[in-house]
Amino acid sequence: MKLSILGQIKRDRIFLLLLAPTMIFYIMFRYVPMFGITISFMDYNLFKGIAGSPWVGLKYYRMFFENPDARIIIKNTVLLGFYKLLFGFPAPIVLALMLNEVRSMLFKRFVQTVSYMPYFLSIVVVASMIDMFLSPSTGWLNHALQSMGFPAVNFLQEPGWFRTIFVSSEIWQQVGWGSIIYLAAVTTIDPQLYEAARMDGAGRLKQIWHVTLPGLATTVAIMFLMQVGQILEISFEKVFLLSNAATYDTSDIISTYVYRIGLLQGNFSYGAAIDLFMGVIGFALVYVSNRISRRFSETSLW
Amino acid sequence: MRKNNHRKKIFSLTLLSAILMTTSLAACSSNNNEKNAQSPSSSASPSGTASASATVAPPEPATLRLLTDQSQAWPVKPDWAVWRWIKDATNIEIKQELQTGPESLPLAISSGDMPDLMSVFPGDAQKYGPQGAFLDLSKYLDKMPNVKKYLEERPTVAQRMTSPGGEMYHIINDGGGAGNNVVYFYRDDIFAKHSLQVPTTWDELYETAKKLKALYPDSYPFVFRHGIGTMRSFAPAFGIYPWFYEEPGTGKMKFGVADPNFKKLVEYLNKFYKEGLFPPDWLSMDYKAWTQFMTTNKSFISIQFIGQIEIMNSQLKDGAHLKFMAPPLGAGDKPYLAKANFEEYGFAVSSTTKNLDAALRYLDFIYSDEGSDLLSWGKEGESYEMVDGKRKLLPQYKEPNDLRKELGMFTTGAVGLANMESSLSLSNENERYAYAEAEKYQFPTMNITPPLTNEEKSAVALIEEQVLKHYEASVAKFINGETPMSQWDAFLAELDKMGAQKLLETYQVALDRLKANSK
Repeated sequence: MKLSILGQIKRDRIFLLLLAPTMIFYIMFRYVPMFGITISFMDYNLFKGIAGSPWVGLKYYRMFFENPDARIIIKNTVLLGFYKLLFGFPAPIVLALMLNEVRSMLFKRFVQTVSYMPYFLSIVVVASMIDMFLSPSTGWLNHALQSMGFPAVNFLQEPGWFRTIFVSSEIWQQVGWGSIIYLAAVTTIDPQLYEAARMDGAGRLKQIWHVTLPGLATTVAIMFLMQVGQILEISFEKVFLLSNAATYDTSDIISTYVYRIGLLQGNFSYGAAIDLFMGVIGFALVYVSNRISRRFSETSLW
Repeated sequence: MRKNNHRKKIFSLTLLSAILMTTSLAACSSNNNEKNAQSPSSSASPSGTASASATVAPPEPATLRLLTDQSQAWPVKPDWAVWRWIKDATNIEIKQELQTGPESLPLAISSGDMPDLMSVFPGDAQKYGPQGAFLDLSKYLDKMPNVKKYLEERPTVAQRMTSPGGEMYHIINDGGGAGNNVVYFYRDDIFAKHSLQVPTTWDELYETAKKLKALYPDSYPFVFRHGIGTMRSFAPAFGIYPWFYEEPGTGKMKFGVADPNFKKLVEYLNKFYKEGLFPPDWLSMDYKAWTQFMTTNKSFISIQFIGQIEIMNSQLKDGAHLKFMAPPLGAGDKPYLAKANFEEYGFAVSSTTKNLDAALRYLDFIYSDEGSDLLSWGKEGESYEMVDGKRKLLPQYKEPNDLRKELGMFTTGAVGLANMESSLSLSNENERYAYAEAEKYQFPTMNITPPLTNEEKSAVALIEEQVLKHYEASVAKFINGETPMSQWDAFLAELDKMGAQKLLETYQVALDRLKANSK
C-alpha cells in the first residue's frame, strides 16, 4: 500500500525534524549567500545595495583577465593546490597502512595521538612556529645545517622554497587527522581475506597490496574526488602569514590577491568576480574527475 | 576562500547578534534622549567652560560604539580611566570595539552594522566616504563650533581631510604627531666601549656595522623590522620618499623609486645583506623578534618609532643603553627623517548612526580646548596633582607609556587634539633629547598622496596595486641579491610599463586641484 505524500511526511516526521537543523543551516549559510554573487556583475555600492547598484555585466571578469598578474596568480594557486594534492593526498593513506601493520597497540595509539595533534593548532601558531624554526638567524634548522657545514638557507625569503614549505607543513598538520577515515575503512575488511591470502603464501607486503589496498579503493576514490574539488581552496591564512614581498613570485595566490584588492581596497565586486570564477573552476574539476572515475570504476560522487 | 568567506560570515553573524543586543540596549537609552531632547545646539554645551556647564543641565546620556586599532605596547582595557573622564564630561559612554587587522574596517562597513564612530586614515575616508559609509561632516560644522575653530586654526589639517568635492568624511587629529617619528638609535655603551664614532653617512654606517660584526661575529649590528615599509624611513636620508609625494619646492609630484638616489639606498642595503650586517629574515620579523635582537646584544643600531628608545631602555640591563642617532646622510646635501609631526588618524561618523547628536558632541568635545586639556592631563587627584601651582603627574606614572597603558590616555579613540606636554614631562633627558633632535631633521614635505576623485581612483586602483606589488617584490629581491643590480633599469622600465607614469600624472592632477582649492 502506498502512502500519500502527507501520510509519508507524518510517518517520517521524526526524521524530518532531525534533518531540519542541517537544512536550515545549508539554506541560510550556503544558499542565501549565493545571491551575493550578483554583485560581481555590478558596480556594487554598499549603501545603494544590490537593487540600486548599476549593472556592468562582465566588466570585472574582463578586468581580471586583462591584468597581467592574473596569469601568475592563477598559476601559483593551481600549482600550490596541485602539489598539495599530489603529496598531501597519499600521505594519510600511507600512514594508515603503516599504523595498520603496527602490532603494539600502545605504540600505535601513541603515534596516532602525536600525529593528530598538529591538526588542532591554530594556523597563526603553526605559521609562527615555522617562522621560528626556519629563521636563518635564530632558527634551529639553520643552526643544525650550519653545524654540519652547510650554508644557512633563507627559507622564507626565497620564492623557490615557498611551495615546499607550505605543502610539507600542510602534510604535517593534516596527515594524522586524514588517516582516521582510512583506518576506519581498514577495519571493515573481512579478516578471512587475510587468512586466505596467508594460506596462499602472501607475505605482509603482498597482503597490503592485494587485500588492504583493494579494500580501501572505494574510500580512496571518494576522498580523492572530494579533494579535487577543494584543490583551489588553499588556506588563505597560512599563505598570507608565510608570504612576504620576496616570495610574491610563488606565494601570491588568488585569495591573497582578493584580500588585497577586494577587501583592503574595498572593491567588493571585483573580489566577488574572482571568487565566482574560482568556484566555477572548482566545479569543473570535480565534474571532470567524477566522469573519469565513473568510466574506469564504479565509484563516483553522483 | 569561499569556505573562508562563510567562516567570516558566520563569525560576523554571531558578532552581529552580539552587537544587536548592545545596540538595542543603547537604543533604549538614546530613545529616551530623543523624547526630551532639546535642540542639538543647546545640548552641545560641553564646549562651554566648566562653570557654564555646571549651570546648564548636563547633556543627555548616550552610548557610542567606537572602532579603533589596538597596540601591543598598550593593550586595551575596558576600565581605562579616560573613558570615565569622558563620560563625566559629556555623559557619553564609549564602547570600544577593536580592529583585528586592516580588513576589520571594510568588514565593519560591509556588515551593515557600523559602529557610530570609527578611527580611520585619510585613505579609508576617501574610499568609503563617497560610497556613503561616512557622514559628510562639513555639513555639521555648525553643530560643532569647537571642531570648526580647530580646523580654522589648522588649515593644513583641514586641507588633508577635505575631499576634492569639499566633503569632509573625517576629522584628523593633531598635536601628537611627534610620537610618529621613526628615528635611528644606537647602543651608546657599546660604542663607547669600543670607542666607535657615531656614523654620519651611510658609508660610515656600513663601516661601523662591519666593525661591530667583527667584534661580535654572531650579531646583526643593524636591525629594522618593517620590511619593505622601512624604505619610507630610510629614503629621506637620500633626499626622497620611495612612493608618490610632493617634491619639496617644485609643487610637482614625484615617483621616488625612479630617482637615482633610491637605487643608491637599495645598493647599500644589498651590501649590508650580503655581509650579514642585518638579519637575513628582515622581511618576516615581528615586534617580538625585533625586541629579542635589541635586548640580547644581537643588534646595536636600529630604526624604529621614537618611543621605542625608552621602552627598550627599560628592558635593557647591565648598563646597556640606547640613544638617539642623527640620520646618516645617504645622498644629497642634508640627511632627513620622514616628516612625522602631523597625524594621520582621524574620526569618521557612520552614515547609519542612530546617535548622531551624541557622535557630533563627542567629536566637538575631543577637539575642544577643554577636551584636549582633560584627555591630555586627566583629573586632579587621579592622574596629576598640583605642585607649586603647576600640574605634576602622580608618582605611580613613571614613563610616558604608563599613561597609555594604565589610563588609556593618548590612545586611538581617546584623543583628538593632543597636548603632549604631560607625556613629555615623564620623559627622561635622553628621550627629550630624541624628540628635540628629531625635529631638526624633518623632511620638508609629507609622505602622502593628494586625495583623488572617485573616477580617478577607480581608473588607477588596479594599476597602483600592481605597481606596488611589483615594487615590493623587486626591491626585496634586489636587496637579497636574487636579482643583480644591473637589472635596475629593466625594473624601472617594467614599472613604467605597468603604468607608474599614469599614476604620477593622476596624482599631479590631484595635487594641482588641491592647491587651487586651498588658495
